[in-house]
Amino acid sequence: MIYFNNAATSYPKPETVKKAYLDALEALPSGQFRSALSCDDADVFSLCRNRLGSLMGISGTDRIYFASGSTEGLNVIINGLGINADEIAATVTEHNSVLRPLYNLPSIKGEPVILSCDENGYIPPELFENEAKKGRIKALVLNHCSNVTGAIQDAKSFGEISERYGIIFILDVSQSAGCLEIKADEWGVDALAFTGHKSLMGLQGTGGYYVREGLSFIPLKYGGTGLDSSRILYEDDGYEYEVGTQNSAGIAALSAAVKWIMDQGMDAISEKEKKLTGYAIDALSAVGGIRIYGSGLRERGPVVSFNMDGFAPADLAYILQNSFDIVTRSGLHCTPLIHKYIGSAGKGTLRISFSCMNKESEIDEMISALKEIAG
Amino acid sequence: MKIIDRRKSLETCTESGWDAIDILTEEPLNDEDIESLRSIEGSFIYLRQLKKPFFKIESHNYVIKGVRGDSFFRYAFHREHQEDVSFDRFS
Repeated sequence: MIYFNNAATSYPKPETVKKAYLDALEALPSGQFRSALSCDDADVFSLCRNRLGSLMGISGTDRIYFASGSTEGLNVIINGLGINADEIAATVTEHNSVLRPLYNLPSIKGEPVILSCDENGYIPPELFENEAKKGRIKALVLNHCSNVTGAIQDAKSFGEISERYGIIFILDVSQSAGCLEIKADEWGVDALAFTGHKSLMGLQGTGGYYVREGLSFIPLKYGGTGLDSSRILYEDDGYEYEVGTQNSAGIAALSAAVKWIMDQGMDAISEKEKKLTGYAIDALSAVGGIRIYGSGLRERGPVVSFNMDGFAPADLAYILQNSFDIVTRSGLHCTPLIHKYIGSAGKGTLRISFSCMNKESEIDEMISALKEIAG
Repeated sequence: MKIIDRRKSLETCTESGWDAIDILTEEPLNDEDIESLRSIEGSFIYLRQLKKPFFKIESHNYVIKGVRGDSFFRYAFHREHQEDVSFDRFS
């Protein structure tokens, strides 16, 4: 089996991640602040927070909170800022984990300002500045790396514009964390959402969010935290954000995954995936009847979207999976707005996405399969 | 061909707003089974040149597709058109 669906969930996972998960299940349960058992130097939660902070350029690691993934993180952030949707800018490259909260959360009113992209999925920061100048925008949600074209947005410039106009800068690093450089503090990121199961090489159902010190936000959930159990009512501030029992085994696995990434070296992982992506684009370009989306990008994440003449993307994915044992993904990729701008409206694209575990020989096999299908 | 079960497909997202069910057959699909499906209205494609040949029947409101040798095929349809095709005669 060849697995090219890493932008959905990475597979396989490093051995150290599997071992960390199993070890956590064998060990006495970790519980934040709830037991003397956790009073040693192996606090899995703090260790994971510190590693995530190192990887993503966040110094205030105590403001990194665990959640089930970036979807939960984004819901918490968008809901918690106390800003209406029509005061929030987002982009056509956003995933439904951003768009659906913006359009559906009962706590926020109005429609967001949506910034468009070019045919590669790239958003010129000037577009945002033009909106910022109008004075209405209070927050920006920016997808760092497109899960459709792989376009990497200029987060630093968006951060500078946000700072200039006093706008809260929320960065969605679901697709970039673990495979692309992130410098949250340096870029002026106020809040960030990440997920564990993609390039961070952790498990599904892990991830979280970061909100910088000084930025107040109202929790989406309340419950037990193990801290000051006599307190029932929260007023104004002093909120707690990790409520209920955390997924300690999943967090132990995520911690091991981040360590594995740091041991491999972010640069080495990024370089390998860049080579694989370039190799795939070159090979696909040599096959007749294939249109690659975002082919004009100079820098991109490990994602390639394309279509082949005569085949709906859903059919091509079906054939690759069922006739050739090659796992890809087809459709809109939960990112419905981008397709109008890149030329894939309607049925979307076929997407292949890599992890550093993939090999060029696997791409060669897919190319052979596509040639056979094309006849 | 004998249909033994129908299950909601886990891959409905791929059809961008359509619903889909996977139709399970008692035996792996052969050429005769695929030919028998051909009576269903719609354009018919059969890629016989593949090692595991792929077939598709497509109409405006539904798509039926599968691979020879698999013990299932997929019926994807616009939400209000599930009843457009009856597979009762294969049950």
